[in-house]
Amino acid sequence: MAGLDQKSPNVLLQSLCCRIIGKSEAEVAHQFQYAVRVIGSNYAPTIERDEFLVSEKIKKEFLKQRREADAALFSELHRKLQTQGVLKHRWSILYLLLSLCEDPRKPSRGANYGALFAQALPRDAHSTPFYCTRPQSLSLSHPERTGLAQNSNSMGTSGIGSIGVYSLNGPTPQALLAGHQAAGESLRQPLGSRLAWNLPSSAPTSRGPVVPTGPSARATHRHRRDGDAEIGEAALVRDILYVFQGIDGKFIKMCSQANCYKIDDKAPVSKSLRDTSSRLAELGWLHNKVRKYTDSRSLDRAFGLVGQSFCASLHQELKEYYRLLSVLHSQLQLEDDQGVNVGTECNLTLRRLLVWTYDPRVRLKTLAALVDYCQGRKGGELASAVHAYGKTGDPYMRALIQHILGLVSHPILNFLFRWIYDGELEDTYHEFFVASDPTVKTDRLWHDKYTLRKSMIPSFITMDQANKVLLIGKSINFLHQVCHDRTPPGRIAPASESTDSPKDAAELFTDLQGAFEGKIDAAYFETSKYLLDVLNRNYQLLEHVQAMRRYLLLGQGDFIRHLMDLLKPELVRPATTLYQHNLTGILETAVRATNAQFDSPEILKRLDVRLLEVSPGDTGWDVFSLDYHVDGPIATVFTRDCMSHYLRVFNFLWRAKRMEYILTDIWKGQMCNAKLLKSMPELSGVLHQCHILASEMVHFIHQMQYYITFEVLECSWDELWNKVQQAQDLDHIIAAHEVFLNTVISRCLLDTNNRSLLNQLRAIFDQIIEFQSAQDALYRSGLEELQLRLQFEEKKKQRQGEGEWGVTAAQEAEENKRVQEFQETVPKMRSQLRILTHFYQGSVQQFLVLLMNSTDESLQFLSFRLDFNEHYKARDPRLRASLGGSRGRRSSYI
Amino acid sequence: MASAVDPNAFRETMDVLMEMSRLLNTGLDMESLSICVRLCEQGINPEALCSVIKELRRASDTLKASENSAS
Repeated sequence: MAGLDQKSPNVLLQSLCCRIIGKSEAEVAHQFQYAVRVIGSNYAPTIERDEFLVSEKIKKEFLKQRREADAALFSELHRKLQTQGVLKHRWSILYLLLSLCEDPRKPSRGANYGALFAQALPRDAHSTPFYCTRPQSLSLSHPERTGLAQNSNSMGTSGIGSIGVYSLNGPTPQALLAGHQAAGESLRQPLGSRLAWNLPSSAPTSRGPVVPTGPSARATHRHRRDGDAEIGEAALVRDILYVFQGIDGKFIKMCSQANCYKIDDKAPVSKSLRDTSSRLAELGWLHNKVRKYTDSRSLDRAFGLVGQSFCASLHQELKEYYRLLSVLHSQLQLEDDQGVNVGTECNLTLRRLLVWTYDPRVRLKTLAALVDYCQGRKGGELASAVHAYGKTGDPYMRALIQHILGLVSHPILNFLFRWIYDGELEDTYHEFFVASDPTVKTDRLWHDKYTLRKSMIPSFITMDQANKVLLIGKSINFLHQVCHDRTPPGRIAPASESTDSPKDAAELFTDLQGAFEGKIDAAYFETSKYLLDVLNRNYQLLEHVQAMRRYLLLGQGDFIRHLMDLLKPELVRPATTLYQHNLTGILETAVRATNAQFDSPEILKRLDVRLLEVSPGDTGWDVFSLDYHVDGPIATVFTRDCMSHYLRVFNFLWRAKRMEYILTDIWKGQMCNAKLLKSMPELSGVLHQCHILASEMVHFIHQMQYYITFEVLECSWDELWNKVQQAQDLDHIIAAHEVFLNTVISRCLLDTNNRSLLNQLRAIFDQIIEFQSAQDALYRSGLEELQLRLQFEEKKKQRQGEGEWGVTAAQEAEENKRVQEFQETVPKMRSQLRILTHFYQGSVQQFLVLLMNSTDESLQFLSFRLDFNEHYKARDPRLRASLGGSRGRRSSYI
Repeated sequence: MASAVDPNAFRETMDVLMEMSRLLNTGLDMESLSICVRLCEQGINPEALCSVIKELRRASDTLKASENSAS
């Protein structure tokens, strides 16, 4: 020992072994191996490297032993050591000295080992079975002892009864003791390996200063003395071990009234023992509770996969617990075998059990609470319940719940990935949050077949995500069943292959929340995009939407006009005499004659005529309607409801269009006949009246048409088109389309709120038709009279040419009488026209009043346009009040 | 590292440590202590070293006991 030379630690260790054991190098080989192992595995110290702290501890130790003089001497020595500065790791050597320090007044080391192990055991409760399955990881994990419980959890076992290590790990601590005391037998085993087996697990105890005689051991002495005359503690321990498994013991029995295990009241047991054992017995009660749940559920097939995996995870926890029990049992067995030889300190005592079972108790408590909470739940609901319990601040409990959640959510994730990547739903027990209705046919597949089960959505999946998930699978099924698209699902949205192990599943719900969401999002985008592509490319969805606009909403003006021209002679006839095939022929003629012929045949062949229900007295105009056949995938967008809406709108537009058409006819008649009838001055007043009324009607209808075309159709159409272009999935398109239709319906006064307005408008339309027939009658009689007069003049001329009298008195009288009669009909016509005008204006005024009261702004604007010069306002006091009022309001806004 | 240190200083240090060891009743003799100091100076974890020493002592006790009973 000349100086601090650079010998390797192994050589130094070997010489240390020789020195302490007092044998040659060959004989201490086992111990040397063991020492290398321990040193190697404890490479990083777990204590603080603070010299000052250690020296203070040493001084405290002296004071505790009442050796104040020695403390002073020590600090003197310590000061000297510091001044010399030879050593670099002073704290280290001081710590070693402190650890090896022994109170001289205490008895020698031998008796302390029991206490040492008594302390070691609960600490080692963390050394989970994970160690025995992976012994090579031993040296690695020792430095990380502090975070051990979490580590063992994350490694896949939750380790309830984690003491279980001993049962597999070879001899128990008691066996070591036995070897120490009854040494003859144990000598045959190689001592070193035995040490090495046992001590890695007890080595961490040296982390804290070893208290020679633990308080628990001392407490045991007292108990022993107390319990001598009564039921012994050993008997209670034996009982308790049974109770732990839910079996009644000799003294501790299940009390059905209080629903707990307790010692018979009359039994002679000291109060403290009674109290301790009742505290321990709680474990049995908790065990029973969990056990009862798993037993009742694991055979219940209808409980479903999620429930089964929940039971499996509970079983796993119980297994760990049983492992602990078996260790305790074997310990008890050993004590029995050795009988009185064993020192009192190494017994199993109630207090020791209380300490050792602390961890398992907390775990079982959580499990029992979980079981209570999960009662009657299944599937996604169960997963939500478990997830709710994971929101705790206690990291141990969180790890436990996380572990269970990983297992429980695994089937759900399996469902989910099958669903979003293959579109398959194999959910026999209705656990997944997407439900399928097998009775729904393919034509309603998109709308009705798949629904969300709200209660089954696990709480770690948001509503938004759930909706996306629903949509993804629905799109895949839609592609397969309705679009007959044969693309293998994997090609639509390539699934990442790392989704199947339960560990991944657990991670997805915890750390990689973002990745999970990303996965759903990616699948959603890919699938929806693919679906829209297929619909647009193979099924021309957008073209069909445009065709609807052009034909059913009268967007293709030339076609509609020509069709009306062609249809007019047919449609004036009573509805009962119309035949669909005639009309279809006319429709085809109209298509061929106009720009519609350039549309794709795919669209034109869907265009058809439809006759609505005929009620008596209807003319062709009332029942005629265009139709557009939709089937296959596009019928998903144009549902039956949509089509009936389209028909209603078409009907309204067709009617309004017809009014325009009638008015042009009226105008044409006026222009043609005005000159002819100039020669009949008696008609001029009536004709003037006609002209005024007609121009009033033209103004009204023009404004109406303007409103319908620009404010209703074009505006909504633009909105729809923008939305359709930006749509990310089919649902967006459907929704946009529905919004479009609803807007058009309500703005065209076809919804229930505007019924009175629509009725008024119909009345106005009726007046226009009536006016047309009245004017027609007027012109007919006027023209007839004109014809007769011309004939009379002609005859007169002819006769004069023949040299006769132009007219005889009788003829003249007859002529005058006829003219007289005709002139008498004129006031009748005039009054008829006046009545018509009166009714018409009344209807318009009523219409304006209703418009003014409507809440829709565009309708209010319509009323301003209709009454731009306040013509009607001047006539109707109601309008004056409401128009004036609302105009005043309006101006106050500006 | 320590080879440059004056042997006298080293001896003094060892004496101080030996005195401390005696005060604390560690039961280490001079040679064992010297080995321990050298191990500690190489950065060995004192915790582990302590547990090794204790185990070795126990093993030697056991050996002695068995020898006694054998003789």
